[in-house]
Amino acid sequence: MANKIIMLVEDNADDEALTVRALKKNNVDNVIVVVRDGAQALEYLFATGMYAGRDVTEMPQLILLDLKLPKVDGLEVLRRLRADERTRLLPVVILTSSKEERDLIEGYRLGANSYIRKPVDFIQFTEAVNQLKLYWLVLNQPAPRNGE
Amino acid sequence: MEATNKELEAFSYSVSHDLRSPLRSIDGFSQALLEDEGDKVSEQGRDYLKRVRAAAQRMAELIDDLINLSRVTRAEMRLERVNLTEMALSIARELKETQPDRKVEFRIADGIAASCDARLLKVALDNLLGNAWKYTGKHATARIEFGVTGDNGLLAYFVRDDGAGFDMAYSDKLFGAFQRLHAASEYAGTGIGLATVQRIVRRHGGRIWAEGKVDEGATFYFTLS
Repeated sequence: MANKIIMLVEDNADDEALTVRALKKNNVDNVIVVVRDGAQALEYLFATGMYAGRDVTEMPQLILLDLKLPKVDGLEVLRRLRADERTRLLPVVILTSSKEERDLIEGYRLGANSYIRKPVDFIQFTEAVNQLKLYWLVLNQPAPRNGE
Repeated sequence: MEATNKELEAFSYSVSHDLRSPLRSIDGFSQALLEDEGDKVSEQGRDYLKRVRAAAQRMAELIDDLINLSRVTRAEMRLERVNLTEMALSIARELKETQPDRKVEFRIADGIAASCDARLLKVALDNLLGNAWKYTGKHATARIEFGVTGDNGLLAYFVRDDGAGFDMAYSDKLFGAFQRLHAASEYAGTGIGLATVQRIVRRHGGRIWAEGKVDEGATFYFTLS
């Protein structure tokens, strides 16, 4: 069985290092794909640009999406994922600093599966990431892929 | 005015979003260092790292409180008839759940209702009752009251406790943002709660004042126009 892919869309190098650290804790058999802006995220998922030729049947089991991103912001990435048949059903968890009401509402309105505000306390953050992984990669039954 | 509000909104958005991010790095990498290299650092070194983390978390709390304060100022008001007795009872229940072992008697008067913004009043009562709960924390038993008293036709709502109290000489400092009358080591807090309550009361056209005595308790009164 192929290893489950977790995609992290994050432009801040510190946040990337900390999130990857938290993801690797207790479990190392996931593949973590990191992209640093919204445009790259879309290229990866739709196998265009620098990811042209990537096998699009291999989709992440979980996308961790920051909101404030260069080029294409997180909400726009979400909008485009939900508009495309190939990515419509992928679990997307917004992982952000913001707890602004309008970001929450807009995130859910565009079809985010969950919304987590990154805690400053790294122990709490690690715990949150662990629960996310357990829930989305182990407990949750994903939608069957097209044609299967 | 609208332009100023928009600017303020953008400012507080940027503050909550951008200022928290470096704090996460400070806390996170300190913790990573403790986990990975903790055995190579002296006891004192580990203590320093813990202090770094505590300070980062405290600053995050301060930022959140400031954002909440500015939100209270900006929030749209929706006046309706609100059952304050019920609101106070539910806050009291929540407080008891946080520390079930404490012996605190709540005396909440029946039938108090007011025309006000329910969300803002909830924030105000959360703060006032939460303070009463906090500042009675060092007494074996305590009593916290919520009631209403009327003089010259204007109703004054009050929250009274028999806790740590305060020196009336400093009563003008109670409502200033980040002003505290107790050391953080004595009672936790950021010093923004009463400033928030004052803004909420003023937005309702009301007034807030306090009476207290050291070690004998405090009473906070407020009116809603």
